[in-house]
Amino acid sequence: MKIFQQQTDFDYSWEEVSTANWRKYGPWNEKTPHVIAVDTLSRTVDPATGILRTERLITCQQSAPKWVTSILGGSETSLVYETSYVDPTEKKVTMCSMNMTYSDLISVRETCTYSPSSASPHAKTTFQQRAEITAFCGGWQKIKNSIEQFTVDRFQQNAAKGKEGFEMVLERARQVFSEQRDLIRLQQDSKILQQARI
Amino acid sequence: MSASLAPECNEVKERYDNCFLKWYSEKFLRGTSTSDECEPLFKQYEQCLTKALRARGIDSMLKDAREDNRDNDAEHMKPRR
Repeated sequence: MKIFQQQTDFDYSWEEVSTANWRKYGPWNEKTPHVIAVDTLSRTVDPATGILRTERLITCQQSAPKWVTSILGGSETSLVYETSYVDPTEKKVTMCSMNMTYSDLISVRETCTYSPSSASPHAKTTFQQRAEITAFCGGWQKIKNSIEQFTVDRFQQNAAKGKEGFEMVLERARQVFSEQRDLIRLQQDSKILQQARI
Repeated sequence: MSASLAPECNEVKERYDNCFLKWYSEKFLRGTSTSDECEPLFKQYEQCLTKALRARGIDSMLKDAREDNRDNDAEHMKPRR
């Protein structure tokens, strides 16, 4: 098993980050074109804890190189199962994901959290990511190691891209939100606009 | 928002996603949500998606994933002390 871990801060409040997180793989993010679809399978609020639990299915374009697909077998898309837990009182988002494709051969389990940064809890949000990668190709230690190492390297390469892409979404969300606020204010102030009911 | 893996579900998915985002930012985060007003839209989307997952054989893969995920639920849904 190999482990990948990282931590980074976003200069946005936890409320902004946790909201924009639902749009993370949408059209505002130009850095994750490999994510083709994000489907919500179920969503419930636990009456005892107030925690919002969401199950999603994430469809990605396969991007593994030839030497990997020749070992694991080829497939055009790969599927990821994700459950997330939002605790609005503690202000914590936890996302757990695992691969559904190739799951007999490799296990990639990732846990990410978003919580208010301890240094400036109202203005910044800390993102923590941890992934555990285990390949199971019986006996072939060398192949197992190279597949695990390749996957860890991919996590490393994607970490920067992931942050850059999410920054785009956060910036856009803040912009849209302030435009909406301006429009509402304008509407409230203007009789003509009120009558026009925009 | 993102597309659905089943193009035929895109339209209803988008309506549901928009409803959810509004509810999430305006009610859930502010602690003022009383009911799930997006439930009717979710039901429509779910109906479409379930059919698509079954047709693609993804429903059985999901069963295994859910089974494997039990520990996460236990850890992250536990009541606060």
